[in-house]
Amino acid sequence: MKKAIVFLLMATGLSLSASAQIKKVTLQAAGLTCAMCSNATLKSLETLPFVDKIETDLNATTFILLIRPNATVSIDAIRNKVEEAGFSIAKLTFTAGFDHLAVAKDAHVTYGNTQFHFMNVKQQVLNGDHDLTVIDQHFVSARQFKKYSTQTTMPCYQTGIMNSCCEIPGKSNSTRIYHVTI
Amino acid sequence: MRKCMLLLGCLLPLFGQAQELYVSSEPASNMPAKSLGIRMTSRFFKMEQEGITGMRFEPELMFGISKNFMIHAQAFASNQMQSSIRPEGGSVYAKYRFLSHDDLQSHFRMAAYGRVAVIDNPFYPATVKNEEMDLEGGASGFAGGIVATQLVHKLAISATFGYNHFMNNLKDHYPAGMSANAVNYSLSAGYLLLPRTYRSYEQTNVNLYVEFLGKANTDAVGRSQYMDIAPAIQFIFNSATRLDFSYRTQIFGNMSRNVFNTFTVRFEHNIFNALKKKG
Repeated sequence: MKKAIVFLLMATGLSLSASAQIKKVTLQAAGLTCAMCSNATLKSLETLPFVDKIETDLNATTFILLIRPNATVSIDAIRNKVEEAGFSIAKLTFTAGFDHLAVAKDAHVTYGNTQFHFMNVKQQVLNGDHDLTVIDQHFVSARQFKKYSTQTTMPCYQTGIMNSCCEIPGKSNSTRIYHVTI
Repeated sequence: MRKCMLLLGCLLPLFGQAQELYVSSEPASNMPAKSLGIRMTSRFFKMEQEGITGMRFEPELMFGISKNFMIHAQAFASNQMQSSIRPEGGSVYAKYRFLSHDDLQSHFRMAAYGRVAVIDNPFYPATVKNEEMDLEGGASGFAGGIVATQLVHKLAISATFGYNHFMNNLKDHYPAGMSANAVNYSLSAGYLLLPRTYRSYEQTNVNLYVEFLGKANTDAVGRSQYMDIAPAIQFIFNSATRLDFSYRTQIFGNMSRNVFNTFTVRFEHNIFNALKKKG
């Protein structure tokens, strides 16, 4: 009985933390048109341990990665897999669950194990599922990266690494920080 | 004639997307990292002076070491320089992609390549007047060059410029009267003919190619050159297996050659992520 209660508590805990999880990643690959190239990208993405299933739109060279329950997503690992296949990311959007998370322009927040820097967002409280777009270098086109660079003076946008401008308690300046927008 | 124009008019809009899996040259793009390719190239050619059909078989293994670096290992067997088919030797080819600009359904890439060949062949019998040499079964030696490939929605164009040095074969000395150095250059274009719209990875893709392949001997003992054209059709099954048919023939040139026309059949199968399943 005691075991069952512990199990129940654990399960509830897990399901609570599951809401603070990336559930789906949609990425558009750049540099390819052919189905064989898409297939190479698909096979590369399939090796990611946190990916459950992948749906492909061949004509738009877009991949929808459905994430395993409770798995931790590495956004950089997704980029590496696309680049290993020989291509790059044109756009990456992910769907994540939020529980009353207050965000604003240039807000730095910890989400699960990942640090996010919100750019070009209004002050608001995120609740439920939201789509966020990663706008770091190598996740958008070179032209878009240049455009976003003019919209913040913070040096962390140039490197994707936390800097003296970033203040998240307990996180060192060398931590990876993803720049996202809604 | 009018029917031909109509047919052409109907076919042109089908050239939906570009392809760069060329048959007679290599693109600047590399194969995916950790993937393995298996290739069998069979060439059939009329040997002008003997009046018989020569053939060469080239089994080849290809491996993507990283996103920027890949190697090929190739073996050759032929009856071109002796009366029966026998193994001639092998070559190793490596390519490094040093530039890559991607955009939606387009890219510009540049790569450098090198090839080393070790061949155990007698050179053409002295009675055969031939000035053409290659590292694909002809002679031992090395080559290096640059490839640039541009993909834009409906067209993939690739250009190659390379230098070749021919050396003694394992048992035979390189003929004194032949140029030991040559430059090669090519311009290739590819189109995706079918399908017009993708529905699945299982759809068979049909690609059309036309390639212009030139070579010039640069040594004073035998300066000569030629330009060939090589149209090709390619079928891709299950987005992993290729079957190519190509016919290569000379457009112009002043090089004495024993082979002017070559028919090539190539089969290729790719295994993506050959090393591990998860990681």
